[in-house]
Parts: sequence; structure tokens; C-alpha cells
Amino acid sequence: MEIYQDEVHALVGENGAGKSTLIKVLVGAYKRNSGEIHFNNQKAEFDSPAQAFQNGINVIYQENSLIPQLTVIQNIFLGAERFTPLGLIDEKKIYQEYLSISEKLGFELPPHEEVRNLGVAEQKLVEILKALIHKTKFIIMDEPTASLSENEIEHLFRIISELKSNHISILYITHILGEVFRIADRITVLRDGKKIKTVFTKEVNRDEVITMMVGESLINAYISPTTGRKKSQQPILKVENLRRKPRVNGVSFEASPGEVLGITGLMGAGKTELSRLIFGADKLEGGQILVNDKSVRFHSPLDAVNQGISLVPEDRKKDALVLMLELYKNITLPTLAQFANKGVISSGKEFDITIQYIKKLDIKTSGVNQVVKYLSGGNQQKVAISKWLQTEPKVLILDEPTRGIDVNAKVEIYNIVGKLAESGVCVIFVSSEVSEVVKVSDRILVLSHGKISGEFKRGVSQEEIMRMILQADK
Amino acid sequence: MTKKINLNLTWYSIKKNGILFIFILLCVFLSIITPGFLSWANILNILRQSSIIGIMAIGTTFVIIGAGFDISVGSLLALSAAMCVGLQHYMHWSFAILLVLIVGALVGLLNGFLAAKIHIPAIIATLGTMTIVRGLVYLYTGGYPLYVEAPDFAFIGTGYLGPIPFPVVLLVIMVAFWQFILVKTRFGRYACALGGNKEAVRLSGVKVDYYHILTFVVGGLMASMAGVVYAARLLSVTPLAGQGYELDAIAATVIGGTSVSGGEGSVVRTLVGVLLLTIIANVFNLLGIHIYVQYVIKGAIILSAVGFDTYSKFRE
Repeated sequence: MEIYQDEVHALVGENGAGKSTLIKVLVGAYKRNSGEIHFNNQKAEFDSPAQAFQNGINVIYQENSLIPQLTVIQNIFLGAERFTPLGLIDEKKIYQEYLSISEKLGFELPPHEEVRNLGVAEQKLVEILKALIHKTKFIIMDEPTASLSENEIEHLFRIISELKSNHISILYITHILGEVFRIADRITVLRDGKKIKTVFTKEVNRDEVITMMVGESLINAYISPTTGRKKSQQPILKVENLRRKPRVNGVSFEASPGEVLGITGLMGAGKTELSRLIFGADKLEGGQILVNDKSVRFHSPLDAVNQGISLVPEDRKKDALVLMLELYKNITLPTLAQFANKGVISSGKEFDITIQYIKKLDIKTSGVNQVVKYLSGGNQQKVAISKWLQTEPKVLILDEPTRGIDVNAKVEIYNIVGKLAESGVCVIFVSSEVSEVVKVSDRILVLSHGKISGEFKRGVSQEEIMRMILQADK
Repeated sequence: MTKKINLNLTWYSIKKNGILFIFILLCVFLSIITPGFLSWANILNILRQSSIIGIMAIGTTFVIIGAGFDISVGSLLALSAAMCVGLQHYMHWSFAILLVLIVGALVGLLNGFLAAKIHIPAIIATLGTMTIVRGLVYLYTGGYPLYVEAPDFAFIGTGYLGPIPFPVVLLVIMVAFWQFILVKTRFGRYACALGGNKEAVRLSGVKVDYYHILTFVVGGLMASMAGVVYAARLLSVTPLAGQGYELDAIAATVIGGTSVSGGEGSVVRTLVGVLLLTIIANVFNLLGIHIYVQYVIKGAIILSAVGFDTYSKFRE
């Protein structure tokens, strides 16, 4: 892939297509397995984002990387302060430089305001200014409009074209195609971690790009077996008007044993927050949860577990596993009481059950004693799922269960989900990868801004759901 | 890939058992240069010198495994010792001991509450209780030393069971008991797990705060028990008793391979850490190294042990 000078180059692809990984490899946050990077016609070896930054490549992430307690000017000049001959910080010179550069780009920020008091859009501008002060030649923007309003997006686009005329190249990452067609010169489509095509924006239309994004990927070739599933008429879980600011704003739905209920939506739509609410991990601010038509109150995850509800959280490393512990200790964590006789844990029993799950879910490991840290992402995910299967849940919520794992492992996870539904478990499959939600679920809810904006049955096409998501978002 | 895992495992086992190698090497070396080193009398002597810090360090091990920290145990030892002596004016010494252990557990409970529920960083929370408890010691003693009057109470510190000093028996029983609790019970397992990743354990449906606080209760309880032995061994308690003991207990724990960031550790290895510190102190005394210099060296040893742990974690 090539990016020219003075170009706005869009990188598009579905969630999980490998966009974020590509950037991280590009700036040296991740080590690459093979391949080369050339920058300004020179072979580039970046060991860390800091090194890439010094060489004029700057990434503006979705979450901003400013220091909230410092002022706008202090943030912009962080690491590039100007000094007086005595070695003191030259406030005057900094201020003048700031004025000249912000004039050039045609916008104004309150220079002495603390960054935490600014809006999200203004913070993005601060990051852009910071990049310019550090003599950046190449800016990577990762979903920059994710939390911006219509007006702010307009403003950002004006600045992007301004940057372009100042000889700065931009790699613009997004899955909102409307934006791409407005600002990009060329588009590169990624799918399953591979480049599908690079095209000039003028030469293609929207539908062609969607087709390239969706394509005949491995996941799309996967067909979920639905035979043998008997959805019960009686819903096991009902939630009514669930609320927790700011991400969950009144969600109601029901789910039955033996069905896979998919929940999808953009990042930040409130999927994870909703999952955590149902599991009692966060406090409910309004609404109620009914299990078997009985209203329940969860004060902690323990209460939810006792009602037969389990959650495999989104962030494996942070929320699901104790990385430094052995495999079997992770798996028996929620059910340890069952392995104790008069308070004394029987490791033998723990090993037996762990071996069962290693076989059942085909976990690739050197043994029950392996420390979970050294497993691959897909196998770690299987450990997290095993841990919860053991509690024999009636409702199993899987939050982004395939994030960051390879395609084969993904398909294995889908098969596990199918088998669970067959055995009468109610599976709630939460994912922002529309392609997999469509394949796996019997019923699909679309979540936008913390509300359900649409419901679909099995058989709906991926495009239809994507359209619904993007519509609801704008 | 397999090669890498093997490498990691070897590294892991060295990290885990390195302290044992060093300990054995040191013992062999010392038995060669000082003929009496491996004599029964000297071994018992080393064990007896280790008993007070050893008992205290068991509690410290639990606290640190749970990713906590407790620097109040030195003060708590003093309070326990003072109360244990003082209360004997009003009741039989066995009741005094019972009461003192309860006080120790309560101080631990307070530490745990401040750390787990109020979310004060444990080192700051226990810095506060350390100061409060030391103040209570002065209030209780009025600033004067207290002396033990009941001769049979002294058995706990100076008596023998057969050929073995009672404090050593107590130490060995406590190490065995708490190692069992750590490895074989839910409390022990959860203590390790929550030290490794508290949020993941909470989301596993475990009452994490309860178990987190319990680690501090063990810390307080064992500090009090150490205080009882201290009083019975020295037969007097000054208000300055136990100053700096918390550092020895923490040092022994960390030298024993318990990770300062929590999640892994062992009571038995902590005992090895205590013995190592005692032996080193003995050697220094034999070599005539001044106590001031010993402080400097001890500090360096602690930093090396912690640095080894944290730096190897960082490299991963």
C-alpha cells in the first residue's frame, strides 16, 4: 500500500478487518511478523510510537491522548517547548507560534483553557495542532468523527483540506462511507487482514465499496447450523427500560432459551454497558430485569450468577482472566465452592473438569498448569467461555467474543454458540462485527445511542443492518 | 513457540525458587567457614531469632499476595505486646492473649476497610493506622516500659517443648497452617486471584471486597501474635517496640518471591526469606560489621529483590 504526499487516503473495512492492527504495526506499537515499511523513500524501522512520532508520523486515536489538567498551549507544545537563552520556558515565543499556526489553519481555541474543559471536537483540534507543531508530515486519524456532531465534522473536514494544502498526508480510517466520499482522494479496502483493493474515489461508487468490504470472506462462507434448535415460547430474560447514563438510555427486549439473540451497533452505542448492567456489574439507574417473569435486583455479579446469568466480558485481559494464574485456576474461579470438601479444595477434581473443557472446546495448551498469559487470544477466549459454561448458565452473554482472535478461532466460537443454543441455553451474542452477528443470531437487535433502533430476523442481509446502523447514527 | 514457552517456564522456576538456591548456597558456604554453623544449637538459635518476624511475615505475605501493603504491623506488634502485658493485671494471661488477638484482627479489619471500601491506597491507609496505633501505644503505656509479672506466661517466649523452643514450634505450626490455607482453601485461591486481577474476580461472582479485607485481617492477627511472643520473650515492652519490624517482614516476603504487584507468593518461601535475613544479620555480627552499615546493606538487598521482580515483569 502506498500513500502519496498531499493526499487524503481513506482506509476502510469492517470491524475486525485489521485496520487498527495495521496502524499499530505501522507506528511500531506492535511488532510485525514480516514485511517492510518505507517512509519518504527510506526504509523505516519504528520500535515504538514515540519513534514514529519523532520521524513525523502522528496518530490521532479515537480516545484522545492529551493531558486533561494542562492548558491548550501546554498540551500543544508538550515535548517541543521553546526556551529562552537561560533555559526557561519562553511563553511569549510559544504564544506567537501558536497564533501564527492557528491563523494559518483558520481556527481559534482558548489557548489558556485547561483541556478537560473543552469539548471533544476542540480536543481533536488540539491534537491536530500538536501534530503540526511537532513537524508532522503524516497524520493517521482513527475514526476521528466517532464522537463529533454534524457541525464539528464539517469543521474537521475543512481543516483536513487545509492540512492537505500544507503538504501533509493523511490516512483517514473509518467505516462511515459518506465521509470517505467527501474527503478522500483514494480508498483502500481491507478485509480479513488483507488489502482487497486501492481505488480512486472518483472512479467508484458507494455500493461497489460496500461489496468490497463485505466480500467473500471466510466468515461469510461460514453457515451457522440451526437445525436442532428449539426456541422456547416462554422468555427466560426480560429487560424493561434499562437505564444508566450516559450510554444506556432505555433498552427493553426479551430473550428465550434456545435462541441466539444478536446485539450489534457502532462502538460507543452502549453494547458493553448494557451487557454489564444485565450482569449486575454496574448499578442500574432505572428500569427492571425479569428472570422467568420474576423481577430481580442484582447488587453484584454474584446475584446474577445465582439467577443463571453469566457474562464473558469484552476485555479478556482486563475483565475476564487472571493472566498470571494457571489455566485450571481460571476455569474454576466462579465455581470454586463445588470443588471444596469441608473447605479443602481438591485439585484433582479441578484438573478433571479442566481437562474436560480443554477437550470440549479444543483449547490448545501445554496442560492444565499452563499460565493463561502464554495462551493465544483465541485460546484465552475459550478459557473465558469455559469458565462460565461450568456454571451451567441459563443465559450466557458474550460481549465481543471474537475480538482480536484469528478467523479459524472465530468459526470455532460460532460453533460453540450454536451448540449452546441447541442445548437450550439463551445466548446473547454482542458484537460490532455485523457480518458475524448476521451469521450466528436467530434474532438481531441494533443498538444506537443506548437505544434499540431496529430488530431483524435471521436471514437479513449484512447491508441492510449496516444501513440501519449508519442511518440511526446520523 | 514451544521453545519460547520452555524458556519462560525456566525463567519462571528460577524466579520462584532462586531464593532457595541462594539460601542453600549461603548455608553450605557458612558451614564451611564457620564449623559450628550447622550444629543443632545454632540452627535452633537462628530459628528462634526468626520466630517473631516470621510469624508477622506470614500475615504480610497474605496482604501482599492480595496486592495490598501493610506498614502498620510494627506498631501493632507494640500495641499487642503492651496490652498483653498490661491486661494481665486484670485477667489471666490466656484471656489477655485472646483479647489482644481480637484487637489485632480488628486493626486489620480497619486497614482492609480503608483500602478495599474507601479506596485509600493501602500503603497510605496503613501509614495512617501505623501512626494512630503507635499513638495508642504511648497512651496505653504512658511512655514507660511495662514488665511481665506472670512467670508461666514467659513460657510462650522462652519455654521449650522437648528440645525445641516454643516460639519455633509456634512458627512452624503457623507456617504449615497458613500455607495450607493459601493453597487449599477458597480464601487462599481468591486472595491470589484478586491480587492478580480484582475486576476479573469480581466479574466471576466472587465477593472480592470481603476476601480482600480478610487478607488484612490475617495481617493484623499475625502481627498481634508476633506481639504476644515478643512480650513473652523480652518480658518487657517499651513504647518503641517493633519499630522497623514491618520493613523486615515486607523484605522477607519479597525476598521469598512474593510479587509486589500481587497474585503470587508462598508462606513457606517467606519463611526462607526470614531465615535468610536472620543468617545474614548473624554473619554481619560475626564479621563485626557495624549495625549502621547493616541497615544500608539490608536496604540494598530489599531493592535488589523487588527490582528483580518488577523489572522482569516490565520486560514481559
